[in-house]
Amino acid sequence: MFSLLGATTLVLVAGAPWTLPAAVGGINLKSPQNVEVHIIDDTFTLSWNRSDLAVGNVTFSADYQVPRNDTWLKLPGCQSITSTKCNFSSLKLNIYEEVKLRIRAEKGNDTSPWHNVDAFTPFEKAQIGPPKVHLEAEDKAIKINISPPGAKDGIMWALDSSSFTYSLAIWKNSSSAEVRTKTVYPRDKIYQLSPETTYCLKVRARLLPRKIGAYSPVHCIKTTVENKLPPPENIRIDAKNDIYVLKWDYAYENVTFQAQWLHAYFRKIPGSESGKWRQISDCANVKTTQCVIPQNTFQKGIYLIRVQASDGNTTSVWSKDKRFDPQLQSVLAPPVINMKSTNDVSLRVYISAPEESENKSVNQHYSVIYEIVFWENISNAERKTLEKRTDLTFPNLKPLTVYCAKARALTADERWNKSSIFSDPVCEKTKAGNTSKTWLIAGICVALLSIPVVSYVLKLLLRCIRYVFFPSSKPPSTIHEYLSEPPLRNLLLFTSEEQTERCFIIENTNILTAVEEPDQAGEDHKKYNSQTSQDSGNYSNEDESNGSKCGEDFPQEEAE
Amino acid sequence: MMGRCTLHIALLVCFSTSALAVSYKLLGFQLRSSSLECQELLLKLNGTSKYCLKDRMNFEIPEEITKSQPFQKEEAILVILEIFQKIFDIFSRNISSTGWNETTVENLLATLHWQKEHLETILEEIMEEENFTWDNATLLHLKKYYLRIVRYLKAKEYSTCAWTVVQAEVLRDFFFLDRLINFLQN
Repeated sequence: MFSLLGATTLVLVAGAPWTLPAAVGGINLKSPQNVEVHIIDDTFTLSWNRSDLAVGNVTFSADYQVPRNDTWLKLPGCQSITSTKCNFSSLKLNIYEEVKLRIRAEKGNDTSPWHNVDAFTPFEKAQIGPPKVHLEAEDKAIKINISPPGAKDGIMWALDSSSFTYSLAIWKNSSSAEVRTKTVYPRDKIYQLSPETTYCLKVRARLLPRKIGAYSPVHCIKTTVENKLPPPENIRIDAKNDIYVLKWDYAYENVTFQAQWLHAYFRKIPGSESGKWRQISDCANVKTTQCVIPQNTFQKGIYLIRVQASDGNTTSVWSKDKRFDPQLQSVLAPPVINMKSTNDVSLRVYISAPEESENKSVNQHYSVIYEIVFWENISNAERKTLEKRTDLTFPNLKPLTVYCAKARALTADERWNKSSIFSDPVCEKTKAGNTSKTWLIAGICVALLSIPVVSYVLKLLLRCIRYVFFPSSKPPSTIHEYLSEPPLRNLLLFTSEEQTERCFIIENTNILTAVEEPDQAGEDHKKYNSQTSQDSGNYSNEDESNGSKCGEDFPQEEAE
Repeated sequence: MMGRCTLHIALLVCFSTSALAVSYKLLGFQLRSSSLECQELLLKLNGTSKYCLKDRMNFEIPEEITKSQPFQKEEAILVILEIFQKIFDIFSRNISSTGWNETTVENLLATLHWQKEHLETILEEIMEEENFTWDNATLLHLKKYYLRIVRYLKAKEYSTCAWTVVQAEVLRDFFFLDRLINFLQN
C-alpha cells in the first residue's frame, strides 16, 4: 500500500511540471477584441476590449511597423497597459505613410496571440478637433480670433494650417434664439449685432476635400454700449476708365474719413495683421463720402478695404471690411440674349457672353450666373430666374402671344456680389398651338388626297350628263366597223352622186371570143372579182375598164 | 409624358455638363496666367549663389506629377489646389533672413491666395454637384513631398541658402503644374 502511495506521489510530482503549464498557458489568454485607433489632431489613441472577464494582472502591449522596416517595434506609451486604452502620441510617425499596429494580452510570461490592426495612414484617419476661439466685443460687432485645431507645433495640420475654412454658429443668449451660420476667416468680425446683448457662438474647422471637424465649446460674450460715432456703412467700389471710385454711406456730417487696405491673405496666415493695413493716401482725411483711387494702386489679388470716421475728438470703429477683387471690378458686361419660338408653343432663350470690348471685360474668367427676367408684353407680369445654363426654354406659353426677356450677369460666388446692367430686352411671338397646327396639316393632306377623287367623280358626272342631254350622233361602234367599207359607206351615207362609168366599146369579135375564153378562165378572175365586190354591176365596169388592157394581157397570163 | 420628362432631364444634363466644361476652359486660362505671374515673381527674388550649391537636396517630387500620368479633370483640380496651398504655406513662413523684396513676396502670396480662393470655390461647387471619388494616394504623396521641404527649411533654420534651394524647387513645381493644367483642357 505504501509503495502504491509512494508511486502515485512520485508520478504526481513528476507529472506536475508538465501538467501545470498545460493548465495555465493557452487556455485563458485571448487576444483583445474590437481594437480601434482614434486620431484627433495630434492625439493618437488605441482602444480595445478585454476578451477575458475579470482576470487580474492582465496587461496589454502593442507594436508598430512602418513600410520600410520589416521589424515590429514597440509602441511607446502602449507597453504593459492595465486599462483598455493607451496613448501613443509621442511616436513621431510620418503621418502620410501607412503604419501597421498589433496588440496582445500578457500575464506574467504568458501571452495571447497578436491581434493585427488593419494598416492605415494617420493623416487619412485623423479627425479635426475643436479650434480655439478668442472673442472681443464691440458695439455692433464681435471680433473673433480663431487658432487652428491642434497644438501650435503639432504635426498633423502643420502644412494645412492656412488651408482651414471655419464655419461659425451664433445665436442670442435668449430662449427663442435663431442660429445663424456663416463662413468666417481666422481673424474676422461678425456684424449686424445689437449692442448690449449677449451672444453665444461655436466654431468648427473644415479642410477640403472632405474633413469636417468638431465644434469648439460654446463661448458667450456681451456686446458693448453703442458708440457715439457709428462706422461708415455700405462700402462699394466702382471701376471707371482708369480709376476706382470708393463710396460709402454716413449719417452724420462734419466728419473726416480715412481708408485702409490689406491683402486678404493675411487673414489666413497666423500672426497679427494689425501692422499690415496700409493707408490709402488718396482717401486720407476726406470730408465727402467718397474718394478716387488710381487703378494701378491694386495689382492682381484680393484686398480688404475699410473706412473709419473721425470728428476730431473721437474716432469710430472701423467699418465692415469690403472684399475687393480688382480683376472683377473692371467690368461685368451685360450678356447678349436671343430668343426663338419653337414649335410647341415655347420660347427658347440663348444667352451668350458679351463681345470683348476695349474695356477688357474680365467677367468671362469667373463663373457667372445669369438672372433672366421674362414677361408677357401686354400684362407685364414678370418671371425671374437665376440660371447657370446659357440655353433654356420657357415651355407652356400661350400661343400667338408676344413675350419679352432681358438678362444680366451675376457672379456665382456671392461674396463678390457683382452684377452687370440688364441687356436690352428682346421680344418674340410664340407660334400657333399644337392642336390647330395638326388640324392644318390634316386639312392639307385631306385636300391633296381628295383632288383626284373629286376630279374622277366630276368626270363621271360629265359623261353622264353628256350622254343624257347631248347624245353623240355617231352610230354604235359595232355598226361603225361593219360599215367601214368605202362602197357601202358611200351608199348609206352619201346621197348618190351619179357614178359615171367609163365605158369602152369593144367592136372587134376576135377580141370578143378571145375575151370569152379567158372569160371562163377569167371566171375565176371574175368570180374573184365578184367575191371581192358584192355588186355585180360594178365589177363589170371595172372589168371592162381593165378589160381592154386585160384582153391584151390575158393571153400572156394564160401562157403563164 | 415620360418621354418629355427624360428629354428635359437629358437636356439639363447636357447643358450643365457643357456649362461646367466652359468653366474648365476658363479656369485653365486663369490658372495659366496665375502660374506665369507666380513664376515671374519667383524669378524676381534674387537667389542663386554658388555658396548654396552644397545645400542642394533631392526632395523627391512624386512620380505621378513628373510622369505625365493622365488625371481626371476633378482630380487635376484637387492636385493643383493642393500645390497652390502648399506653396502658399511655405512662402508665408519666416522669410526675413532672405533679404528678399517684401513687396515681391507679398505680390507672390497675393497671387497664390487669389488663385487658391477661386479654386476652392470651384471645388466646393464640384463637391456639391457630383459625387466623384478620387484616389488619395497622389495627394498623400504630394503632402509628404512638401513636408520634406518644410522639414528641410526648419532643419536649416530658414537660412538664405535653404530658401534659395526651396525657391528653385518651387520653380520646378510650377513647370509640372503647367502640365497638370493641360488636363483641364480636354
